[in-house]
Amino acid sequence: MKNFKRILLALVLWAASVSAQVAVIANKDVPMDSLNKAQLRDFYSYEMKQWDKRVPIAVVDLKLPGEAKEAFYKFLGITASRMKSLWLKKMLMGEGSEPLAVKSEEEMVQKVAVTSGALGFVSLSKITPEVKTLLIIAQNEKEP
Amino acid sequence: MRYKTTFAALLLLLLKFASATAQTGPGDLRVFGYFQAALGHQQDATIDRKLKSFTLQQLNLFLQKDVGQNWSAFINFEVANSYSSQRNWGAFSLEEAWVNYNRSKQFKLKLGLLTPAFNHLNEIKNRTPLLPYIIRPVVYESSFSEVVDTDEFAPQRAFVQAYGFIPMRATKWDYAIYVGNSPSINTDPRRGVTGIDTTRTFLFGGRLGVRHGFFKAGFSATHDKFDARVLRDSLQMRFPQFSFPVDQFQNVAQKRIGADLSYMAEKWFFEAEYIHVAYDFGAAQADFDKRFFYATLGYHLSERVLAYVSYWDAHENLLPVREQGFQVPTLGFTYEASEMVVFKVQSANAHFDGVNPEIDKTYNYTYCAVSVRF
Repeated sequence: MKNFKRILLALVLWAASVSAQVAVIANKDVPMDSLNKAQLRDFYSYEMKQWDKRVPIAVVDLKLPGEAKEAFYKFLGITASRMKSLWLKKMLMGEGSEPLAVKSEEEMVQKVAVTSGALGFVSLSKITPEVKTLLIIAQNEKEP
Repeated sequence: MRYKTTFAALLLLLLKFASATAQTGPGDLRVFGYFQAALGHQQDATIDRKLKSFTLQQLNLFLQKDVGQNWSAFINFEVANSYSSQRNWGAFSLEEAWVNYNRSKQFKLKLGLLTPAFNHLNEIKNRTPLLPYIIRPVVYESSFSEVVDTDEFAPQRAFVQAYGFIPMRATKWDYAIYVGNSPSINTDPRRGVTGIDTTRTFLFGGRLGVRHGFFKAGFSATHDKFDARVLRDSLQMRFPQFSFPVDQFQNVAQKRIGADLSYMAEKWFFEAEYIHVAYDFGAAQADFDKRFFYATLGYHLSERVLAYVSYWDAHENLLPVREQGFQVPTLGFTYEASEMVVFKVQSANAHFDGVNPEIDKTYNYTYCAVSVRF
């Protein structure tokens, strides 16, 4: 009985840790299989506007706040509102546009799956085979 | 007047066409912009004279289109101070029209009419949604151009700019170099085509900067020459006791040096700039050097509310004619009602002082404004 409880507790903790993890996802035509934090930050802030092989990057953002969004921007070391200011600056300087915005993580997966060069993020549990996973962020992962 | 009306009609036609064809996908024409309307109260503290006025301070209309895999075109029309060609109010201008070649993060190129990189504010000085100010730091405030030679503190226009950044670990090294016209632009149609540089020299300039996280700093410089013979004639007439040789005023070298610093931490932000403008009149007894400094400290009281204090200080020599300066402490708040609408309030206490004539004036400005993106 004791062992059963321990296994159950471990399963609950594992499930919780999976749901707390965030995956950085991309369209399958993206010519990269992984990326690091510096690249991710450059892509999201439009410092870099193209993938290798000149595929344009289409950044996708979640409109509403949530655990995944909070963890993602915490990992990038920037608040969501400050990132919005960066996008606005790029747009008004003629060097970028506002990202595609979706209402839910399910919609994020669909959008990334059907948009060429798309880059987004969702909770690890929401990933489907239609998208490519480039990076997994553990929620307790801090900015170096 | 006729020219202005024809131009406005053409612009309306263009916008009608643009709005009919504009899509939201990449590669299509995008039309967007913003305006800022303000209510201002100005008080001359010396003689207790008060002015109150509404104004459409600024409206900018942008057209942008990707015109090739690495190319995009951008046009910026600006109207200022409740523009009306019928009533001769305000100003309408084509501020920018350039094409951008984005080769890589290390090398980008802008070709056409553009605002060059100089310190922190020059490129964004007219992007009112990006700024917490209603009245901008004085040398960037076009509505103060009658009081201060704003054009001389920072380069207004260039025609070719190469720029980019070189990453080294977590640090990014920014660079920008540009070429433009000297300030001697023909405005008299009897002397030929207007808007054309009448000298054989160019404006050369650039900025070198560093970014690390939310820290940013840079060093800027420009060099150009201008024809100051008209100025020389008026100086000679007014001060016959001094010598103003004509050849010393034919190609006067103008050098600008600037430094900028900004930092953001949690809810705080800080930004500061210094500009020094030096003129070389050779042996002539003239000194037109200028300097400007500003620093702003801001704090996000909440996600939507920002408070800031700022201090501006400028000094202009116009010797042997006069010497003048001004100091402006200011504070303000912004409230982001939505992503597109921001309310702003600002209060400034501007003190002007000068010699020849003796000036000692203080003005109190209070403004509230709404900044709207569309």
